[in-house]
Amino acid sequence: METRPLGDTGHDSTVMTFGAIALNWLEQEGADQMVELVLDAGVNHFDVAPTYGDAELKLGPKLRQHREEIFLGCKTQERTVDAARAKLDRSLDRLGVDTIDLYQVHGLEYEEELDTITAEGGALEAFRDAKAEGLVDNIGLTSHADPDLILDAVDRIDDLDTLMLPMNPVVAGKDGDEYDYEAVLERANEEGIGTLGIKAFAGGSWPPTDELAQEDRPYCNWYRPVDTYEEVRERFDFAASSGLTSVINAGDPKLVAMILDAARNYEGMDDAARRSLVERLRHDDSPVPEQLHH
Amino acid sequence: MDLDADADGDEEGDGSTTDVPRTVTAALADRPVEGRVCLEAGAGIGNTSAGLLAAGADRVYAVTNDRGHAETVRDRVGPAAAGDARANAAGGRAADDRLAVVEADLRSVPLDADAVGLVTAHGLFNVVPPASLDRIAAELTRVAAPGAHLVVDDYDPLPDDAAVRDLFAVENAATELATGSPALTFYPAAVLARLFAGYGWTVDRERTLLDPVPWTGRHVSAHAAKARGAASSLRPELGDPLAAEADRLAAAVGEESAGRMYSVALRLPEEHG
Repeated sequence: METRPLGDTGHDSTVMTFGAIALNWLEQEGADQMVELVLDAGVNHFDVAPTYGDAELKLGPKLRQHREEIFLGCKTQERTVDAARAKLDRSLDRLGVDTIDLYQVHGLEYEEELDTITAEGGALEAFRDAKAEGLVDNIGLTSHADPDLILDAVDRIDDLDTLMLPMNPVVAGKDGDEYDYEAVLERANEEGIGTLGIKAFAGGSWPPTDELAQEDRPYCNWYRPVDTYEEVRERFDFAASSGLTSVINAGDPKLVAMILDAARNYEGMDDAARRSLVERLRHDDSPVPEQLHH
Repeated sequence: MDLDADADGDEEGDGSTTDVPRTVTAALADRPVEGRVCLEAGAGIGNTSAGLLAAGADRVYAVTNDRGHAETVRDRVGPAAAGDARANAAGGRAADDRLAVVEADLRSVPLDADAVGLVTAHGLFNVVPPASLDRIAAELTRVAAPGAHLVVDDYDPLPDDAAVRDLFAVENAATELATGSPALTFYPAAVLARLFAGYGWTVDRERTLLDPVPWTGRHVSAHAAKARGAASSLRPELGDPLAAEADRLAAAVGEESAGRMYSVALRLPEEHG
């Protein structure tokens, strides 16, 4: 599988990153098989979080068996120094490892949170202490909030090594700064910050719960994922050709093998084909009158 | 579509404004739009006008001979749409006072000679029958100032195995019979480049906007509707089978990605001949 430098971290990540949230919906035996499947496909970058049910625990055995083959990302939603450190220790314990290669501020949504984590007593203090102690190698941030907020975070966190952000052809087709994750990507690439893409496989929202109850949804994702090979492949190709370092799979384990296959067969996507996908989805979704042209 | 269900829930626009299509932004990306007076020839629903305004055009004349399109452009890109993200993106200038929707035939545009610094024809010429090409090229050249730019975006002829060809053929048959002109003609990029070369334009560059071209279910049904509309003005024994065939083909095709959309950029010399 193709690898690319993860910003200036010195690590070359595969073009697909394994989102280990998928393990949460498997029993231990299935989780072990899933990790082997992902490693067999050549994936070398894993991402997990303490909020993904018991994914950390289920990842543990195979992670420890293959620790040298895996660049491990983890994250915390805690925003203050003590809470973040406690969560880091807990993750190290649950995963059963001594170090985490990339520790990320998880799900930044509001400016006030950015104020908190960057201030004295904020979570980043715990990240930096852990780095000094050798528990953590790199510092990252994940967000699907306003691109301006992410850009602000890039400005304010000097030692930021990676960003995790949405990259989706439906969103890419929309104007307005609130959809402009490409500006974030551009900036990250200028600054040598590695980038990990989420939401690549989002196909739309679920029907309202009075039409389709949450427990009747066929996938665990909070969005409706694309689920044919053709769609999965073009979504993967779009995200992987957008300037991202690596693309994270949809969280549902039923989709992982298909996404691995798309990643293994990735051969790039040129601008005309990228626009073709954006246009097709834009017209599918368009609220404006029927059009004859593009 | 709301992909952000757990965030602010603000993904949806109000449906009245336009996102500038990537085809338009890609075609305009290397053109000097900022500060220019522009003309969108065949304004459709105003996508290119929106792109020109977003790219900082000083003034945009959106020219269309279709009353419905003129109203749509006013609604989507004009005053009703002012204050949206696009106007903000254009440096805070309100979109409305820079846009003039002009209802006119492109063979006779009510603008002075040399009035315009950049002309776009985005998806225009495929709906222009061969007999009208020359007069439109002459008129667009007349209103273009010395040194003006022209962007012609259109479709290559479809490959032989494209299923939508049959639908377009039925659409053309019905409109030929009803009006004497085809609905659609796909001119190769080189043909339109040579047409304008005859009026003093030189080609700056050509690029591919879409490959393949996604003819979505919405496009396919819109073309079928156009064929049905033309067929309905024919004698029933002629029109009914054409309408039925258009519907059958639209259902059979569903959607298809086929062909290429190109962008040819041209330029007039600084001084006319």
